[in-house]
Amino acid sequence: MKLALTVNGARRDVDVPPNATLLSVLRDDLALTGTRYGCGRGQCGACFVIADGRAVASCLLTADQAARMEITTVEGLARGEDLHPVQRAFAEEDAMQCGYCTSGMLISAAALLARDPSPDEVAIRDALAGNLCRCGVYGRAVRAVQRAAS
Amino acid sequence: MWDRSDPERLEQRIRLERDGTVTAFSGKIDFGQGIRTAFAQLVADELDVPIDRVHVVLGDTAQVPFDFGTFGSHSIAQETPRLRKAAAFARRQLLERASAKLRVPVDRLDTDRGTVVERGDRRIPYADLLNGTPLTGAVPDQLPLMPDSRRRYVGQPLPRIEARDIVTGRATFVADVRLPGMLRGAIVRPPGRGAKLRSLNDEAARKMPGVVAVIREGNVVGVVAEREEQARAAAAAVEAEWHLVPVEGPSADVPMRSDAGVDRALARASLRLAQTYVLPPIANAPIGPSAAVADVRPDGATMYVGTHRPFGVREQVAKTVGLPEDTVRVLPQITSGSYGRNSHPDAAIEAAILSKGAGRPVLLQWTREEEFAWSPSRPEALLEVTAGLDPDGRILAWKYDEHTNVHTAAGLDPQVLSVTSGRNAIPPYGPFAAKVTLHLEPTRLRTANFRSLAAAENVFAIESFMDELAAASGQEPLAFRLRHIEDPRFRRVVERVAERSGWSGGTMPARHGRGIACTVYHDTYVAQVAEVEVTMSGQVRLLNVWCVVDPGQTVNPDGVRNQIEGGIQQSASWTLLEELRHRDGRVVTTGWDAYPIATFNDAPAKIEVLVEGDATRPPTGVGEPGAVPTAAAIANAVYAACGARVRQLPLTRERVRKATATG
Repeated sequence: MKLALTVNGARRDVDVPPNATLLSVLRDDLALTGTRYGCGRGQCGACFVIADGRAVASCLLTADQAARMEITTVEGLARGEDLHPVQRAFAEEDAMQCGYCTSGMLISAAALLARDPSPDEVAIRDALAGNLCRCGVYGRAVRAVQRAAS
Repeated sequence: MWDRSDPERLEQRIRLERDGTVTAFSGKIDFGQGIRTAFAQLVADELDVPIDRVHVVLGDTAQVPFDFGTFGSHSIAQETPRLRKAAAFARRQLLERASAKLRVPVDRLDTDRGTVVERGDRRIPYADLLNGTPLTGAVPDQLPLMPDSRRRYVGQPLPRIEARDIVTGRATFVADVRLPGMLRGAIVRPPGRGAKLRSLNDEAARKMPGVVAVIREGNVVGVVAEREEQARAAAAAVEAEWHLVPVEGPSADVPMRSDAGVDRALARASLRLAQTYVLPPIANAPIGPSAAVADVRPDGATMYVGTHRPFGVREQVAKTVGLPEDTVRVLPQITSGSYGRNSHPDAAIEAAILSKGAGRPVLLQWTREEEFAWSPSRPEALLEVTAGLDPDGRILAWKYDEHTNVHTAAGLDPQVLSVTSGRNAIPPYGPFAAKVTLHLEPTRLRTANFRSLAAAENVFAIESFMDELAAASGQEPLAFRLRHIEDPRFRRVVERVAERSGWSGGTMPARHGRGIACTVYHDTYVAQVAEVEVTMSGQVRLLNVWCVVDPGQTVNPDGVRNQIEGGIQQSASWTLLEELRHRDGRVVTTGWDAYPIATFNDAPAKIEVLVEGDATRPPTGVGEPGAVPTAAAIANAVYAACGARVRQLPLTRERVRKATATG
């Protein structure tokens, strides 16, 4: 089916199978591979995008549903070469190891800071609780979000 | 064939480019350990160039020297001397070339950030010394290295080179590779491991939208289609009948240490204690399931993979698709951390079969369910330990039987088994007589590499038991350990972690407790203290962890901290939460709901890691050691908090409550 998505501030026209997920359309039709596949069930956070201001699992949205929303992916966080504060903070805190879960964490953190510019640690942990990391950078990621907020 | 027994060749390690940048080559792989950054630090210092001019190529079989694999926290230990010597040799050649060009003796020349300088102020950029003649030659084994005083980068906590690509989403993970004409694959899975295909009906699948082919080779059946959704839908529509053939892992008995007089000493000990510890199988559980891109052509193949063993993948793929090995190029990509899982190139082999069958490049992305169900797991372990103390409370004798399944595909040679499936079974304490035996037992579960192999299991048992021995003989756990530690470096990390965590001072709130554990893992010394709170219902909350590590000379202290913190966090997860369940080898916990791991809400308030490497000692690895003592530190803290000695992982609420009741 033909759809017009709004991704990272631009209109993107695609022609995809009826039940295609937003995740597969981002990765396979729009070459936005920064959004990662992790579980396909909304349980790990690797595929999070910001949809109308909220961090959501793009594997659980169909592209058709997403067509009615403003979508921001990790590629849309920076303004040109100017990184978003959470991107800068994650790099500065070295809050990553393999980096596979990083995109999803950045999305959760950016969505949090947009609605609460100075969250406490509990709010940060809650906002990122849907992002699983197997390398174990949770402590650094909390510090990175705190740094981005300050 | 470039073999590790050959002398190192400069051109295989360091290449000076025409633009003055430097390319360094290593067969090791970076899964997030930060070795790319550490290697750049080492080379930049030794060759005296700014670090942003150093580009590190890892694992590309067409470019890097042979490497057996990235295992056992060996990357820094093995590659540091090789890269340093090669870079030093390159620098010496550049000085010699400048000497000839300027007609001045070498001793009047020096280097300064990518240029050769003469005392009279003449400067020649390295690139101007190339003249189309690359730097080559056998790297001498003995040559002077850059003195520490002139090393700018080694020892500095530099951020990861890949950081910007990762935070912008630009980093190309395996599943992000896009090739012209590339198809998507999906595998038709049998009901169990080792099943043989009896019959296949793919008529309906072939007619489905987007399907290009259904491919069968031996017992591998897969679909290739234009889109992933289409490949998956068609794979589900393939009707296959299978014949189940049970597959079992190997068995063996390996005496690892057999001192005389152990049984006699145990018989006459004034205090004898015997306990059994149990760990369940666990999943490597990478956040990114396995993936591979294969481009198999009649005359050769290119493989884009995540692997610990690029040269091993080359050999296996070549054999699978019937190509000479030298026509296969393996190009490792950035890959999800896999903690040993990528030692087995399952997705790569399958993708190669599909690509060969389709005659086009194929991306195969495993699903989450496939990853849990078909990956190898860390084996279960049952550890029996008996020790006897003399009247003064010192250990006289130690008997240890490790029962587990095979931990690697490295082979069943007793020497190999004792350092793989039996890793760290010999206690780091002494002096006493010890008998340590590894019993490898068969299992239908597919088992293989997980971070530190058997070390984390053995150290859980040994360090829990050290606490139990101390308690049984009325000794303080820290003092009891120190009485049995002879190595001064080991002593120091244990004393330092006690100091740092305030081990001997202050009182704990009710139901809070601290536990200590320590080990020596491949010459890295590590000691940890964990602090927990145990609720009335037996729920364990990890509050704080302190760790002191001595990995010898430290290339990147923040990289070391990150690795150790991660190891602690990951081990806390499996200590408190994880158990892979299977029926006759078929994994039933195939999603994050059935196999929960620690989340942001489970992470402790603080993990403090002090990197206190002995700078006079060669660098050792840090990828695994931090993960090794954590389970025992937590279990010992639970005991201190509420008197519950739990000898079986994970430390669930039910087990803790039951152990509290029985004291």
